[in-house]
Amino acid sequence: MSLVSLNILIADDNPSDRLLLKAMLSGLGHNVDVAEDGLEAIEKFDPDSTQLVCLDVVMPECDGLEAAIKIQEMSRGRFIPIVFLSGLSDTSSLVNCLKVGGSDFISKPYNLVLIAAKLDAIIRILSLQKKLEAQRDKLSSYNEQLIHEQEVAKVVYENITHSNCLSDPCLNTFFYGHHLFNGDVILAAYKPNGGMHLLIGDFTGHGLSAAIGALPLADIFFEWTRKGFLMRQIVPEINRRLKAILPADMFCSALFVDINITDKTLEVWNGGLPDAFFFSQKQKKPQPLVSHNLPLGIVSESEFTYSTEIVSFEEGDSFLAWSDGIYEALDSKGMMFSEYQLNPLVEGRVDTDNLLPWLRRKLETEGVLDSSHDDISCLKIDLSDSIGVEQESSVAKPEELDSPSDFSFEYILNAESLKNTDPLPYILQIIMTVSGLKHYSGQVFMMLSELYSNALEHGVLQLNSKLKETNDGFVLYYMERETRLSMLESGFIKIKVSISSNKMGGILTLELEDSGSGFDTSQVKLKLEDSDELYNRGLPLLGQLCESINFSEKGNLVGVKYQWDK
Amino acid sequence: MIMQTQYDEKKHVLTIQIEGRFDFSCHKAFKDAYSSVESNCKFELDMTKVTYVDSSALGMLLLLRDYAGGDQGEIVLNNCNDAVEKILRIANFDRLFSLH
Repeated sequence: MSLVSLNILIADDNPSDRLLLKAMLSGLGHNVDVAEDGLEAIEKFDPDSTQLVCLDVVMPECDGLEAAIKIQEMSRGRFIPIVFLSGLSDTSSLVNCLKVGGSDFISKPYNLVLIAAKLDAIIRILSLQKKLEAQRDKLSSYNEQLIHEQEVAKVVYENITHSNCLSDPCLNTFFYGHHLFNGDVILAAYKPNGGMHLLIGDFTGHGLSAAIGALPLADIFFEWTRKGFLMRQIVPEINRRLKAILPADMFCSALFVDINITDKTLEVWNGGLPDAFFFSQKQKKPQPLVSHNLPLGIVSESEFTYSTEIVSFEEGDSFLAWSDGIYEALDSKGMMFSEYQLNPLVEGRVDTDNLLPWLRRKLETEGVLDSSHDDISCLKIDLSDSIGVEQESSVAKPEELDSPSDFSFEYILNAESLKNTDPLPYILQIIMTVSGLKHYSGQVFMMLSELYSNALEHGVLQLNSKLKETNDGFVLYYMERETRLSMLESGFIKIKVSISSNKMGGILTLELEDSGSGFDTSQVKLKLEDSDELYNRGLPLLGQLCESINFSEKGNLVGVKYQWDK
Repeated sequence: MIMQTQYDEKKHVLTIQIEGRFDFSCHKAFKDAYSSVESNCKFELDMTKVTYVDSSALGMLLLLRDYAGGDQGEIVLNNCNDAVEKILRIANFDRLFSLH
């Protein structure tokens, strides 16, 4: 519709006035339609084409004020200006015209100069209005498109970040987000040899831009855990990848947890998240696990620190961590939530079975959930040594043809490599090329890691398991392991793998030889019943899995045979 | 949030004073503030009147650090209140910036 010549509807019961105005407006170049009273005006009014309505105030049947109200109803939210025509000049009747929604009035007798000027003003308003409407429409269609795209992205995002085992009964989480997307992630994955890896992370900012970094994070976390990599390999890799792809002002404060069920230890790497807490039944107060590292994605590989804390747990102990949404939140008095409200929890005055409900109630009563501008997530783990046991990948795999295989290889690691590499994921990957063995990856990985850690810790590093006897034994043991490994100058571990299989099943032979002095093999206990200690459970476990275990005379070479059926 | 800058030409030091909440709403003002001077300048942030920092403020500090040449840059954060300092220390930002 042109804004130079408007479609104007005039309603006036006085024929001469009506004709005069029509002539004037037509003369100014507009298209004019006329009505003899209010009713006819309502009939002729078309919200799609009429651009201006001129109504005489006093008319029979339906007067101008009534018609104006009706016409505005018909306009369906569109702005179509109404101008009143009137011989009246008393203030109250003119005010009434504006009150019912009129934009202006033209007084009789008509003055052509004045009418032309008023029409110009109306055209200015209309063109402004038209521009606004166009912008509004553009904006709302853009917004619709954006929401649609975000919804698609959200599906992908959730598939990736939730392809995990958060539903495990040992885990409890809660989560409050304020956007369609949020910057918090909680990831959990079973390790191939039992136990679990967990990560709670908080990306800078909120919404989509914060969520985008979670994709590579989750990808590495799940993929590397599945392949049997260790926490100390996964964390630096995530850091490296995030540093490479994120802009300088984006990073991820995170806490990585490794639950080791063989040793019953919990190892925590904290980079930039508030203290997590370990609730031991032996201690009244929970033990804080402090952030010793910079968040992920800030510094390069060479400056990256891997500083962790290890605690030994028992059945019934628990662990609690949260993102800094809780930490930065303000309570109902405007004080830092963490400083004042969390004290009972930090001082061990909250029943450990009740931690999450207690925290939730606290957040609700202090109004944090309504006012918080940050995402809040919280994770609790009920610790036990059965976490992740018998969790062979639950995803149904298509039946594959078991083609026979027959190969062997030898992998020798000398001192420098023993310090810097973990060969197990690579070896496992080669072994898993044997299709029939895919269902047994957990068991194979367990055998490999038991044999390898025995060879490394007792063989090459000459560590004594007796160290583990004391209360904090495992912690001391691992500190000693780190020290000795970092100072290692000579030594080797030789790993030999042979596999031969047919359609019915096969035999896997693993041989590990180390440079250590060996041990008295007559003391080996291969039955679980014989070993009631916490430690030394590795060999009896192997005894259960394998067909046979053989030690060399000196004790520095061990071979196991593992048989599987289809 | 109010932000004021002062540049000492002789000492080649830019002081940025931030007041109130240091969060995403400061993004443009903060960036304009530090990019108004050469990147080899020394930067001092007067945090006396900062009541609060969130993670996007930490991100902005990293942007400034980047601008100032990473490890080579000289950036000092002065007079952080306890709550603000605690947040910076949890993130271990005391390794990247001097806190006074």
